[in-house]
Amino acid sequence: MSLKRITKELNDLGRDPPTSCSAGPVGDDIYHWQASIMGPPDSPYAGGVFFLSIHFPTDYPFKPPKIAFTTKIYHPNINANGNICLDILKDQWSPALTISKVLLSICSLLTDANPDDPLVPEIAHIYKTDRAKYEATAREWTKKYAV
Amino acid sequence: MEIDGNTLIFIIIVLFLFFSSPGGDGVSSQYEFNQLQELRTQWNVEYKSFQGMNYNENFQNITGLKLAYQDIIDDESVNATYPLPSKDYSHWSQDQKYAILPDEVISQVKNNVWTQENADKPDLFPPNITGTLRGHIELVSNDKYSKLPMPIQRFYDPPSEFSDVSPHLGDRYLGDEWPPFSELHNVTFDNGELSVQVSHVDRVYDRLKGNQQTYFNSQTDRWKFLNLRLDFSDKTEHEKHSLLTDAVYDVQHGRILAMTQSAKFHSLFAFPHYMNLENAIESEDTFNSLKKLINEYWNASNFVDTLTMNDLQDWYDSAVYKCEYVAFIQLEPWNEYTPDQLKMIDDELNWPLGRPANLSSVPLINLQSGLLYSPDCGIQLKFNNIKGKRYEIQMRSIRAHLLFGIGLFVTQIYLLLCQMHHTNTPSSVSKLSFYSLSMINLVDGSLATLYFIAASILPELYLPLVISSFACFILASIFETRYLILVYASQFNERNVGLLTLLRRSNNDNNDGTNTEAANTVIPDEASISGTLYGRFFFMLISFTLLTLSSTSWPRKIRMIFEYVTIFVLNSYWLPQIFRNAIKGTLPRRSRLRSEALGIQRQNKMPLLWKFIIGTTIIRTLPVVYVFTYSSNVFRHHKDVRFVVVLCLYLLFQIAVLYSQDILGSRWFLPKLAIPEGYSYHKPMSAQELMEHGSSVDHTVDCAICMSEVPVYVEDVPETHKVDLQTYMTTPCGHVFHTQCLENWMSYKLQCPVCRSPLPPL
Repeated sequence: MSLKRITKELNDLGRDPPTSCSAGPVGDDIYHWQASIMGPPDSPYAGGVFFLSIHFPTDYPFKPPKIAFTTKIYHPNINANGNICLDILKDQWSPALTISKVLLSICSLLTDANPDDPLVPEIAHIYKTDRAKYEATAREWTKKYAV
Repeated sequence: MEIDGNTLIFIIIVLFLFFSSPGGDGVSSQYEFNQLQELRTQWNVEYKSFQGMNYNENFQNITGLKLAYQDIIDDESVNATYPLPSKDYSHWSQDQKYAILPDEVISQVKNNVWTQENADKPDLFPPNITGTLRGHIELVSNDKYSKLPMPIQRFYDPPSEFSDVSPHLGDRYLGDEWPPFSELHNVTFDNGELSVQVSHVDRVYDRLKGNQQTYFNSQTDRWKFLNLRLDFSDKTEHEKHSLLTDAVYDVQHGRILAMTQSAKFHSLFAFPHYMNLENAIESEDTFNSLKKLINEYWNASNFVDTLTMNDLQDWYDSAVYKCEYVAFIQLEPWNEYTPDQLKMIDDELNWPLGRPANLSSVPLINLQSGLLYSPDCGIQLKFNNIKGKRYEIQMRSIRAHLLFGIGLFVTQIYLLLCQMHHTNTPSSVSKLSFYSLSMINLVDGSLATLYFIAASILPELYLPLVISSFACFILASIFETRYLILVYASQFNERNVGLLTLLRRSNNDNNDGTNTEAANTVIPDEASISGTLYGRFFFMLISFTLLTLSSTSWPRKIRMIFEYVTIFVLNSYWLPQIFRNAIKGTLPRRSRLRSEALGIQRQNKMPLLWKFIIGTTIIRTLPVVYVFTYSSNVFRHHKDVRFVVVLCLYLLFQIAVLYSQDILGSRWFLPKLAIPEGYSYHKPMSAQELMEHGSSVDHTVDCAICMSEVPVYVEDVPETHKVDLQTYMTTPCGHVFHTQCLENWMSYKLQCPVCRSPLPPL
């Protein structure tokens, strides 16, 4: 079941690729993918390309895939290990969601961070109190790691 | 480390406590030292008088034996000061004129207990009678005989003031206070139960010589020195008596004489005289050889020098809290053996080497008849046929039973593994009853702890008990709890859904509040579930084990009620599964077979394997059946066939209901009214709906879960009518999925994958 569905998603991605992201399996293992996201132009991440790793559980799509950034990124909802705090990747997962939808959600998370449910409270604090400093640091990190 | 004043004081106090704690003889004050000196002097004087005593001579100044029964008959106010005026100390014969027993008791011993055996063929008796023997005891009389006053030396009394240094001298009678001593310790029941624990004493340890052990008995073919513990109580266990006695066993005649020893009765010196209750020719010989045995015991144990405060306190306690007793016991002969065979059996039991002794046919040790008489309380009891297995044989049979039990556990593990394999999808696991498995798990878990506790009490059975405990623990905490976690996780989405809703498979009538709540339940990860479940498991386990352990000390009636109710409740383990089946509602077997034949793989097989149901039931009932039907079971449990029959019928009833649910559908016993048709997921579509959700070209809808097409039945389009309604499901919000896809998802969450609106439970 999971294999069929993942293959289907892969085909759909190839047929109708989303504008700012791409994804595909790493090597022979269809359960392990790599994805990339272009930093949204209206965000401090603009110009960067961020890589993510995707691991599908064997009972996909009933359990959410495990997605993590492999590129370092300065964001209140993404920690140093690349883990993402996003509800649809946890308890709000639905089997009707696909990888491309999830990647789009991550894109919009980059544009609009959610500092009220942070994974890195320090960044969230700066985000809320000193927006300019946050944007400067994020831009600096993007330049340093994602270009 | 810095040591400040407080730490230093603390260390000094600890060291002081450590070094000042009573040493070898337990003396911790001048007063106690003097008490012990008095005790030693007393025993020494009495031993000296015992040594000079011969067969024809009466007891002299020996505690508890100064008066004879006749003395009190003659003069009730006589007291035990030695020497009594006009008492004949130079003669001894076996009657109440000289002995502490009434003539009536003596003649009963002669005629009913120690009867003269036939002279042509001497009886043979087992040389070793270690074991626990059980039977019934009967009260003969508790008011007929006069009570022999037995004074207690005053030096036994604890100091009345802290400044006391030397104990009081003289003696006092225990009957002086109110209520009178003998009334307080009277035996008031007519019939009761007796258990006799026999252990042999063939060597003694000398504390002063570094616990050097000495075998003291040079006449082992003739005499054995025993310790007997007699416990008797009425049937309801309201009145319990417990006696610890020294005893002498005459191997040639199968006679046992047991006497309690305390501060008011130094019975050790009375054995030679009282073993001789008949005027036979060999009496003098008996007297002398038994006197030799006592002498040997006295010298080897270094009796006087090794006395401690503990002995003093024990004797004081048993003098104050118990009546003194003399027991005459006749053993049943083992005449079916030759002396050589008897020796071989005994050797094989003591040092198992595989001699051809045929231990399985060794008869029970039987105290054929016996008489208990209390001289100071005037109580006479009698008992017949107190039987039990020889200790080693008892241990062997317990070991065999434990091994069988381990076999049962292993079978149970195997069955559980089959069952786990059978339910390998979340939706099939969710049909299992969490409570059924919990009950099974609770029993296994508490068995494991009980075995473990038993292993620490019974060192001889340590190994088999620990293995049983381990097997049980593996079964309970690894396999069963693991399975429970799976079941718990798969049913998590039902947390906030009412029973009626589950039954109706609909939540239309619920208000929106509960629906959103149900929709928002977070499915926790397995780690947190296993945390809570293990916590709950151990809590239940410990409380249940403690309850079981404490129940063993309750009065019999309450204990029985507790036992019966507990066994009955714990054997209702299929009931929750029956309810679960009714809630989940499986189809009758016939229609399941039909839909399987049509190639529709619906997961509505019965959640439990029949192999598992029957196997588990048998494994769990066997021990109960054994314990309640074999009167000679190793747990010494009483027999109650009726209860077992009721229990088996009860279990059969549960299995029969499960079977009927398999055949007739799991809801056959519910009236149609109770299960109103809830939401039906399987319904045809209208053309308009198809236009909204899917393509009208090939009459399919995309299933959002597997992302492939679902052929649907459209009312207006005849060519779609070959589609089976069971193959797809339409949610109340109008979304269509494959049956298998949505059922699978619904075992995680009752929420539409597409629009997140709540789904009625399946």
